[in-house]
Amino acid sequence: MHMADALLSPVVGGGFWVVSGALIGYSAKKISEERDNSKTALMGVLGAFVFAAQMINFTLPGTGSSGHLGGGLLLAVLLGPYRAFITLASVLIIQCLFFADGGLLALGCNVFNLAFFPSFIAFPFLYRVIAGNAPTPGKLAVGSLTAATAALLMGALSVVLETLFSGITELPFGTFLLFMLPVHLAIGVVEGLVTWGVLAFVARTEPGLLVPAKAAVHPRFTFALFAILALFVGGVGSWFASSQPDGLEWSIAKVSGSKEFSPAGGAVHEALEAFQQKVAFLPDYGFKSAPEFLANPESPVDAGSSLSGIVGSLSVLAAAGTVGLLLGRKQKGEKQR
Amino acid sequence: MYARLPSAASLPEGRGAPPRPLPFLGSDRSALLVTVLFLFSLLSIPKFNMAEVLAFGAFPLFLMSAAQADVKMIVKRLLLISPFVLFMAAGNLLLDRNPVLLISGLRISGGMISGTVIVAKTIISVAALLSVTQSIPFYRICRALEALHLPDVLVTQLLLLDRYRSVLQEEAQSMQKARDIRSFGRKGKGLFRTAPLIGSLLLRTITRAERIYRSMSARGFQGRLVNRPAEKISRSDWRTIGLWALLFLALRLIF
Repeated sequence: MHMADALLSPVVGGGFWVVSGALIGYSAKKISEERDNSKTALMGVLGAFVFAAQMINFTLPGTGSSGHLGGGLLLAVLLGPYRAFITLASVLIIQCLFFADGGLLALGCNVFNLAFFPSFIAFPFLYRVIAGNAPTPGKLAVGSLTAATAALLMGALSVVLETLFSGITELPFGTFLLFMLPVHLAIGVVEGLVTWGVLAFVARTEPGLLVPAKAAVHPRFTFALFAILALFVGGVGSWFASSQPDGLEWSIAKVSGSKEFSPAGGAVHEALEAFQQKVAFLPDYGFKSAPEFLANPESPVDAGSSLSGIVGSLSVLAAAGTVGLLLGRKQKGEKQR
Repeated sequence: MYARLPSAASLPEGRGAPPRPLPFLGSDRSALLVTVLFLFSLLSIPKFNMAEVLAFGAFPLFLMSAAQADVKMIVKRLLLISPFVLFMAAGNLLLDRNPVLLISGLRISGGMISGTVIVAKTIISVAALLSVTQSIPFYRICRALEALHLPDVLVTQLLLLDRYRSVLQEEAQSMQKARDIRSFGRKGKGLFRTAPLIGSLLLRTITRAERIYRSMSARGFQGRLVNRPAEKISRSDWRTIGLWALLFLALRLIF
């Protein structure tokens, strides 16, 4: 369920970078205040455990397909919310940088969707409330299933809202949600079952690991409030996004009465436009104004500029590749000398 | 304050070392920031502008050819483009059938263009990111992140995670192999049979963490793995970033 760069606008991607960055900073501060260096090695190795555990596949009951552990809730139970959040964020950073799972711009969204919800919402406000500090087998099962499923569903809802805010998809909000939620409900149930299985094993063999340390700090109600507010704002925003394809266009139309943005002090705008006309690749290329290429007069695509642009783009690609190759060979030659 | 530790000292100088340095990207810090700038510029391109997206493909192409990156590995990753991205691209293709171009009798819908733009942006952003991360060893990426003021806790976590990832993955592989050779068909590979196996790996991991912490403490570990203060972003870094920013802006204006 990794969010991809291509589905995000810079505003949404950048916004979630700020939110996730602030959460990382806050969690790091809380961890430093604990002054418990013994957990540092544990966090590092448990992050590596998530990668390792994801390599162990199991067959899903009644389907024949295979699945693996996600690990968000499990880490939260073992490490507490702040350490689990940092550990999950580090896993997502490595996945992004080396495996291109989710992009760099989407990293903020992915940290929010896959680390924030299990660590700061599902664990403290669902798992701990249901399972308590000394869980019975029944409570452990209900707590794991409920918390893991809720975390996955909240993450899926967040993905839907982020994509819709970005205005990249043509999918309406309702259809998108109807597709995402059932799929993630199923994934959440599987995640809950396997988390329960692992926790039940730990409870039988090393029950002390499931007893939270007295000094451990837990997020306050403000975190839940923050999340609910974020979802509320997202929900309202997405309503506008679904009825108006472009939020910016909608606001401009409301303010100026026109769909297009036309600046009042046009001197700078005109100068920039003139500059763009001058530097534009193949500005008088035949396709640009040829009306026979337009199927739809209100089309957002200009046939002429598209074709001339593509010719220009291919030239840039060829030039960049050639310069790169020449540089590479030069460096290789220098190294061999 | 700064402890010299075997785990930090043995950080892989050779592992993942670049075959060639990244040309014109300056230090690791500026290389990371230029990549971020590139991604912001790429993703700000409107959803129907295929030409501009193509032009931005010049950046990863330049990096791949100049740094002689492992293109095979990058292509392999590109072939595994997220099904979610493909689903979204297909959604646009099916839902936006409004014809926007007519070229030699071929009707091209808005969805065809915006769907292709989504896939092209994915390919270009993934190729750019992998070209950069392939050329900088991970411990140097961590140093650069530290210079960019990421919290020590996260940088230490990243270094430890990278150090023990392969160790635990080997262990998981051997456990899975042991389970598979004792299974007949699907018997023994179910969720409830595998959960204790994962639990067992977890207990081994926690025991390993205790051993690591004891040896780190014996060598003076006080919460930080890095053994020298982070370098600051220099003037030449800012110059490099500024020049690339101008280049990306020029590309946006020209196409």
